Amino acid sequence: MASPTAKAKYFCAAGEVLLAVLAAVSLLVGKYPLSLEKLIAGDALQRRVFWTLRCSRTIVGVAGGFALGTAGFVFQTVFRNPLASPDIIGISSGASAGAAAGILFLSGAAAVTASAFAGALLAVILALALSGLDKSGRNSTIVLAGIAVHSLAQTALMCLKLTADPERQLASIEYWIMGSLSGISIHSIGGNLLLCAVCLAVLFALHRQAILLSAEEGEARMLGVNVGRLRLVVLLIATLVVSGVVSLTGLISFVGLLAPHGARLLTKDNRMGTMLLSGLLGGCLLCGADILARSVAAAELPVSIFTSLLGAPFLIFLLFRERRGL
Amino acid sequence: MSFFSAQGISAGYGGNNIIKDISFTVEAGCLTGILGANGSGKTTLLKAVCGILPHSGACTLDGKKLEALSPRELARHCGYIPQRSGISIDISALDVVLMGFNPRLGLLEHPNSAMQSAARAALGQVGLAGMENTNYLHLSEGQKQLCILARTLAAGSSLLLLDEPESALDFQFRHRTLETLRGWLSEGERCGIVTLHDPTLALNFCDELLLLSGGVLTGCIRPGEDPLDKMKAMLETIYGNLSLLRCRSRSGQARLLMLKE
Repeated sequence: MASPTAKAKYFCAAGEVLLAVLAAVSLLVGKYPLSLEKLIAGDALQRRVFWTLRCSRTIVGVAGGFALGTAGFVFQTVFRNPLASPDIIGISSGASAGAAAGILFLSGAAAVTASAFAGALLAVILALALSGLDKSGRNSTIVLAGIAVHSLAQTALMCLKLTADPERQLASIEYWIMGSLSGISIHSIGGNLLLCAVCLAVLFALHRQAILLSAEEGEARMLGVNVGRLRLVVLLIATLVVSGVVSLTGLISFVGLLAPHGARLLTKDNRMGTMLLSGLLGGCLLCGADILARSVAAAELPVSIFTSLLGAPFLIFLLFRERRGL
Repeated sequence: MSFFSAQGISAGYGGNNIIKDISFTVEAGCLTGILGANGSGKTTLLKAVCGILPHSGACTLDGKKLEALSPRELARHCGYIPQRSGISIDISALDVVLMGFNPRLGLLEHPNSAMQSAARAALGQVGLAGMENTNYLHLSEGQKQLCILARTLAAGSSLLLLDEPESALDFQFRHRTLETLRGWLSEGERCGIVTLHDPTLALNFCDELLLLSGGVLTGCIRPGEDPLDKMKAMLETIYGNLSLLRCRSRSGQARLLMLKE
């Protein structure tokens, strides 16, 4: 039998190849089909579409999916809960409320992105601050605080929707919540990508610490871990990653939940290789979903439909493979 | 001055003290057992000593006050084996043992090759050789317990706290665990405190037994020195009527045997 690390390497290599293929397809497929020959020949329109639309879209698909998958791995490990996701501490509802406020009161895509980012961060900081009031520092306290903040943000979102103009604003809020990679301009992604890259690097460096946090609290303490402080730092960094992505794309369901599960079912461990594989699978999932979102129907569809549609069967397949020991 | 001393320890949950004003000492190289009925505060006492539970009173190990140490320093001196480890993710047995080196590693450092081989050796020491790559979650409860023991032994602390290490182990492994522990104690300046369910095991492997009842210390037994009658009378306060016998194993070693009347 291959050693666990060798197996993880094999899966990661396969994931990288798949991701590269999907990225190439993503660059060429869409409402305006591109062809390699025309691009190389220097067709002006083709080049413009390539540089202004497809490039940014593909980059966000690959990098955003990678970021969501990796952050999902960290959340599940730190919360010791396979169903944990960024939603658990209020990121998505905070980001939605922020985006809605941006759509109502500010103008321009960049302003909405900034507003969504601020909303997500505000929600998480509020949840973590609330949980800090309980000195015992239990995981369940953070989850409860997250639920409280989530409901607060949902209420704020409802109020914002009530005041929204139903024709335009309400539609854009709903559309934002469903998530999409369309309309992301190459000029507006730099800051978010840089933030995600830095935070992801830190998360990978802290991988061993995240694993220590997966032990029971007293146990982790007796392994020399300053549980409260380390958990706060890791969660905040993972939050920054997710906020960086969803503020650009809107809510994307399932990637952060599914990619780490898929990775773990393949490698059967939680080493660094599995964390990397979570990211790669996340990238494949989001990139693949985005390709479908813009090619199956005449109109652009929300990407979350396809992340779930692609993700759920994949998860079911992996579970059955596990059961039958194939 | 004793190697380890606890002075006036009181602790509990939510403001109610479960253990009250407990003081005892442990000499270097010695294993102290804590006996008591369920709910008498055995686990609470261990958790208070290793600082997981807030408590009043003071613990001193080799001249250092444990309460004053940072979590990292405390973990370097003091190892704790809970009744059940809370590890719930897929992780290899070797990686579980390697967790024990965390107090000696920087935030971003990884265990070096010397630590890797020490971890393998520790797994061998507890009888889990060849299971390095086995998923910890697939081990039996007893093997999990042994794996955590290996982690604590490898970490090189000088005070070991074990909470019912024998509870999930079958007969053979119980003895093996306690023999491993005695071997570890004889290797340097260290001591151990262990709560045990099985009084016979405690009488034969511990240098001193503390009897805990309703959260207070009610007595202290030295199985090697105390007269049989005195020990019997004290044990009966916890376990009711019983017979205590001295006997010899086939190889001639003195043993104590406790039977319920």
